[in-house]
Amino acid sequence: MTRVARVAVLVLLGPALTGGAVAAAQDSQFGIRGLGTPGRWESVRSRSTGGAFAPFDPLSPLTEAPLADVPQLTATAMESASYRDARVSGTTSALRATRFPLLNVAGRVHRRVVVGAGVTTYLDRSWDVTLRDSALLRGVLQRYTDEVTSDGSIADLRLAAAGRLSRRIALGAGLHLLAGSTRETAERRFDDTTFHTVQQLAEVRYSGVGVSGSLLLGVAPGLSVIGWARADNRLRATVADTTSARTDLPRMAGGGMLFSPGPSVRFGGSVAWRGWARAGAGAFDTWSWSAGAEIGSGRMPFRFGVRGGQLPFGPGPTAPTEFAAAAGSGRAFAQGRALLDVGVERLERRGGGLTERVWTALVGITVRP
Amino acid sequence: MMARRVAWIGAVLLAAACVERVSAPGHCPSFCPSGQIEIVDTVLRDVISRDSTFRGYVTAPQSPLLLAADLPGLVDSRAIVRFNGFGQRFVLTAADTGAILGADSARLQLWVARRDSGAHNLTLAFYRLPITIDSTTTFTDLTGPFADSLVKRVNIDTLLARPGHKDTITGDSVVVDTINHVLSLSLKFDTAAARYVGMDSGTVAYGVRVSADSFASIGITKATLAWQWYLRVDSAGTPVARKPISLGKAFASFVFDPPPPPPDSTLAVGGVPSARSILRVAFPHFIRDSSQIIRGTLTLVPAAPARGAPSDSFVVEAHTVFTDVGAKSPIILDATRTDTAVIRVGTSDTVQIEVTNLLQFWASDTTRATTLVLRAREEATSFSLIRFYPSVAPALRPTLRITFVRRFPFGQP
Repeated sequence: MTRVARVAVLVLLGPALTGGAVAAAQDSQFGIRGLGTPGRWESVRSRSTGGAFAPFDPLSPLTEAPLADVPQLTATAMESASYRDARVSGTTSALRATRFPLLNVAGRVHRRVVVGAGVTTYLDRSWDVTLRDSALLRGVLQRYTDEVTSDGSIADLRLAAAGRLSRRIALGAGLHLLAGSTRETAERRFDDTTFHTVQQLAEVRYSGVGVSGSLLLGVAPGLSVIGWARADNRLRATVADTTSARTDLPRMAGGGMLFSPGPSVRFGGSVAWRGWARAGAGAFDTWSWSAGAEIGSGRMPFRFGVRGGQLPFGPGPTAPTEFAAAAGSGRAFAQGRALLDVGVERLERRGGGLTERVWTALVGITVRP
Repeated sequence: MMARRVAWIGAVLLAAACVERVSAPGHCPSFCPSGQIEIVDTVLRDVISRDSTFRGYVTAPQSPLLLAADLPGLVDSRAIVRFNGFGQRFVLTAADTGAILGADSARLQLWVARRDSGAHNLTLAFYRLPITIDSTTTFTDLTGPFADSLVKRVNIDTLLARPGHKDTITGDSVVVDTINHVLSLSLKFDTAAARYVGMDSGTVAYGVRVSADSFASIGITKATLAWQWYLRVDSAGTPVARKPISLGKAFASFVFDPPPPPPDSTLAVGGVPSARSILRVAFPHFIRDSSQIIRGTLTLVPAAPARGAPSDSFVVEAHTVFTDVGAKSPIILDATRTDTAVIRVGTSDTVQIEVTNLLQFWASDTTRATTLVLRAREEATSFSLIRFYPSVAPALRPTLRITFVRRFPFGQP
């Protein structure tokens, strides 16, 4: 087995071998009271630029048109480890999680057509909430401890195709199957053990579909712009083969600009709108933006960027906000057939009296066998 | 070059390290799931019906204890026991036997498993009984022997007060098990009290009456009764002493007066012969099928104060059955599916038995008969008896209070 092949095996089987299901890039307490925490459809390279390069990155499942520039069979996967402090009402909880939020494969099937398939996180629904309270039962105030948990996510399985209509124009489209499950538990332990412990659990399955399209234009040498749109249908939740909820999913649209004044410098920016308010009460339409750069080329570029925006779920009349700064680098191996990308991100989310601060370490592997 | 590679590998391993901790205190309702654990508490007044009482499950001869009691107005109970002998001849050697000439003495070992420590001058009186006693023998049959055949009397309190708990004159002694609160008595019967009659094959029978300043009620462990003969045997014309192996009881029981009243419309539990009550529960489907029961309480209203010796508080157990075939319904003897309540003699407070285990069992297996059987934990080991109002008494009928949790709304955003 060649070195590249070994890396490829690691990329494709790594998440399974480590027991990690494809899950969210990052959880959030804001996602507990809602559908979940939306995933970030970005590779490590894009994430390290604050997400600014994501619309132009063929290995980020945000858009399809950039797939047209994939020269050969390419696969990528990433892992993230987040360390999160959630502070609310003067109480800080230290949380951490490891996720494998991205797995993508793309390859040219025709001179003008490239297809790609992959899986990423659409919504993360992993959380564990404990609560101490009391209730009047049989005339006596009974104290208890509640623990409600959810473990799992909804994945976005994308099948995409893209092609160059001309030297300046690339077009892409994608079909998205939303699928996933969560193992949810609800437990209540009374201090008075005369009352037996409440323990209920369920396996909740989710399904939905969506379509997306994108158009990449080369406006001028070194300057590209892109526009994309996506529409998802409804998310159907089933418990024991019974539909427990149907939730409308958002329409989305966004665009970006990539400027390369030289071969070793690239600047990017993007903006996106997502219509999450369709999901029901407590959900908001969101705007997000990002700006970043990649300096250096060849074996070890340096990337950095910032992003900001809103979160779709949260308490109160307005959407929670977030701001993040990221940086990273990459390293090529085996004559450029294997790429190892690393990044780090510092994120802050605010809303409804809750402040989350997150450090996230990112590792991505890309192989071109 | 090497240092850079190590740094790269270190950075990658650090980032890739699997960590997971997602548990956080909930701040509700803002940062809690929309679904809540919903608890419902309800009293089901008319789900128990077709209840009845049956008596005779454990009778006096089957009881593990011999009950001796003198409780005026309640019961007069006397223990009776028979030991078979060795016959007319005794095996001296493998090739030689000798005629049993008589007994120098004998020693009776008995354990008092239960007594009222508040009863003073607790006295045991031993009477010689006909060796024909058996399970058909009644209290009336033994009125004569208990009146004129006293062979020995032992005051337990006096014996306990002696140094070493030994009476050097009578040869009696007692050992106190302070952990299990058991008195182990070793009582000497002299030649007159322990007569070895060869024509009767050496069989002897005795009765025990108990008395005290008040609350005379004891339980003698049947399994540990032992009789030790000290015999005189003719060995080639010369009397020799022999100590054969000790004998266990051939028959042991107790007789009492008055006999228990016949079952009436109330639900009786306990007594001798033991009584059980059977209650059929119409378990609501909406609770059984779609909720989780976290507490169930069976409420029973006594029709009269619990009867018995003040020291004889007892435990009522609620069992379910394998199948409901009436009085002979086989009960499921499983500690995890048995619920209990302590009954204090003399009280008429409402009795509440936590039956959560049983209700959960029924909910987990809907093919089971939803039938409750109430019985005393150790049946026929005391005269304690309680009677409850049955389901035909509308205001005081048995009720079931259930606390349950509805299905959590999983999958709701």
